[in-house]
Amino acid sequence: MGTVFSLAVVGGDDMAIERACRFLHHVDDVFSTWIEDSWISRIRRGEAELEDAPDIVSEVHGLCLEALRTSRGRFDPWRLPGGFDPTGLVKGWAAERAARQLQEAGATAAMVNGAGDIACFGRPDLAREWRIGLEDPFDPSRIAMVVEGWPAVATSGTYQRGLHLIDPTSGRPAFGVRAATVVGPALWLADALATAAAASEVTAGIEMVKAVEGYELLVVDEDGRRTFTPGFVAAAA
Amino acid sequence: MRRYQIVLGATAAGLAGVLSYHTVSAGNGVTVQATGSASSSTGSASTSAGAGSSSTTASTPTTAGSSSSAQAAPSTTTTAPSVRRAQGSEEQYRYGLLELQVTVSGGRITNVQPMVDEATDPRSAQINSEAVPMLSQQVLQAQSANIDGVSGASYTSAAFEASLQSALNKLGR
Repeated sequence: MGTVFSLAVVGGDDMAIERACRFLHHVDDVFSTWIEDSWISRIRRGEAELEDAPDIVSEVHGLCLEALRTSRGRFDPWRLPGGFDPTGLVKGWAAERAARQLQEAGATAAMVNGAGDIACFGRPDLAREWRIGLEDPFDPSRIAMVVEGWPAVATSGTYQRGLHLIDPTSGRPAFGVRAATVVGPALWLADALATAAAASEVTAGIEMVKAVEGYELLVVDEDGRRTFTPGFVAAAA
Repeated sequence: MRRYQIVLGATAAGLAGVLSYHTVSAGNGVTVQATGSASSSTGSASTSAGAGSSSTTASTPTTAGSSSSAQAAPSTTTTAPSVRRAQGSEEQYRYGLLELQVTVSGGRITNVQPMVDEATDPRSAQINSEAVPMLSQQVLQAQSANIDGVSGASYTSAAFEASLQSALNKLGR
């Protein structure tokens, strides 16, 4: 499987990094659907209940309910093959939690990148904000544009991993959108909205994010057309 | 600024690793080097922290059990360190070094190539063959954008992301 989290940290000490590292391994142990005996796998098979599981599972479950509501049903982790699967939110949530831990441990700035979903705080240096390049979904070796200063940047798309996103209204694999990037204040929600937008038609995704204050969306369709919500600010790379 | 990579669920046995980055430079040549060590995912994690770099002499921090050495080459555009890897038991699996040679000419990166020993570690060889072609283009592109990280849906290999981040670290100065 091999999910990679990368951290860029200003300030803090080795203990801070180690804590964040332990936390992320723990998240993987609990939430990985690839691990047969993870809490999430057992819950999916009906072998365990939410209340038996560690608190973080209830926390994520609660955020999934909130994301379901905020996305007007377009992010629906209950309507996935095999049952409740919060994977579309967990990565962003975990990256953000890790960033907060680094901050509590004394880091003055950090960027935590959970396999393409990014949480930032502080400034990498006095003169500038964190700068995040957005992959070109037709040529992942290329950076298409750059966003700056957003606390959360989440990208979802099918172009690398195949058709794994399900349209919640049809229950079948989604088409139409090549990639969706959501920026905003909280990565757990940006992650959920990006996941939902990538599994929706372009206009549906745009309308969905427009209704969420503080969040902006960039959608790239299969023809390479880019559509933005009005507040999405980016520079060409 | 220090950079770290944490790999989750790297193998079917649930091994995971923490990678840290050290850069070595000499003259106009830049070598980006990663060392990896893996431990069971049930809680223990080894870390080696910090980035060390030196503009005049090549120096390389080591992690227990594996070591590498780098020396400055007289060439004006590249350095060619030599590396060694150790492969241990399943509990203490180290998937070795992913090392890239980044060629700088006239202040710009012009090429990125793997510096791979004969792969005693087939996993590393596989990682390298995946990561490096993607990396070199990204490095060349990222250079003009001067970015701190990349958001996208194509992160399939630990080493790719790791390599890219360390190269970006170098680019970001």
